[in-house]
Amino acid sequence: MLLTLSLVLLLLHFVTKKGGGNSVPNVWQSLVELIYDFMLNLVNEQIGGLSGNVKQKFFPCILVTFTFLLFRNLQGMIPYSFTVTSHFLITLGLLFSIFIGITIVGFQRNGLHFLSFSLPTTVPLPLAPFLVLLELIPHCFRALRSGIRLFANMMAGHSSVKILSGFTWTMLCMNDLLYFIGDLGPLFIVLALTGLELGVAILQAYVFTILICIYLNDAINLHQNSFLFIIERKRGIYA
Amino acid sequence: MIYSVMLEGAKSMGAGAATIASTGAAIGIGNVFSSSIHSVARNPSLAKQLFCYAILGFALTEAIALFALMMVFLISFVFRF
Repeated sequence: MLLTLSLVLLLLHFVTKKGGGNSVPNVWQSLVELIYDFMLNLVNEQIGGLSGNVKQKFFPCILVTFTFLLFRNLQGMIPYSFTVTSHFLITLGLLFSIFIGITIVGFQRNGLHFLSFSLPTTVPLPLAPFLVLLELIPHCFRALRSGIRLFANMMAGHSSVKILSGFTWTMLCMNDLLYFIGDLGPLFIVLALTGLELGVAILQAYVFTILICIYLNDAINLHQNSFLFIIERKRGIYA
Repeated sequence: MIYSVMLEGAKSMGAGAATIASTGAAIGIGNVFSSSIHSVARNPSLAKQLFCYAILGFALTEAIALFALMMVFLISFVFRF
């Protein structure tokens, strides 16, 4: 984890020294700008319906989450290296912290109305307490599910590659020509799986981050559509 | 000693049976991408946005298959005899 921290900080430092880099970006600056721009679009799009200030408050946290997850997942692809996110405790710890943060933000912004998030609008009143209590359980499971998704993807990918490469190595060591030629099969499968894992590493970081943005959106605008909000504002101007 | 031998066999059987759960995930992923292809064919100008949705749906559905895989590893390696 320290390696990831130092790599990311080094990258950012070398890009932004001399007061902000060049106007015609070189490769490293393009990379950093790509990640930054991607996250900016993500936050703007997801946590919608409010003025610009509110959205930008959550942007550093989400940017840091995405960058660190991306680099940690990709770091696991280096041979003989240590995949941090393929350990259960780390992804669950990260996710519980973020989820408790989202709940606190929801309560702080909406007071006790946050519990009305669980209630659809046309529900008869005696049914309401049961629905709220029942809705709390899937609400907690969302947090668990995202952490397990990230952990299981990383662990499954690495385990598959390890098992298949053990197979490949055993076939290579048997002193027989048939096994040597037949070794090409598992070798190509290991190659394909490594490629798939690279894709999955980037993808899982993206999915994690976009789901956090969606939960944040749900916590802040309780079921309100940003589309409806824009229509209401327009009607306020003209009517 | 016979008990632990039977337990090892039972563990392997449980692990093998738990991988049947990935059929549901396979159907789900095929469904997601089939809908994505249909929707791109209807409206090719939205291809990039629809691709983002397709990838999000794929990752979420793949997670269920990985829950099943995790149960396999749990059964095989975690429960002590």
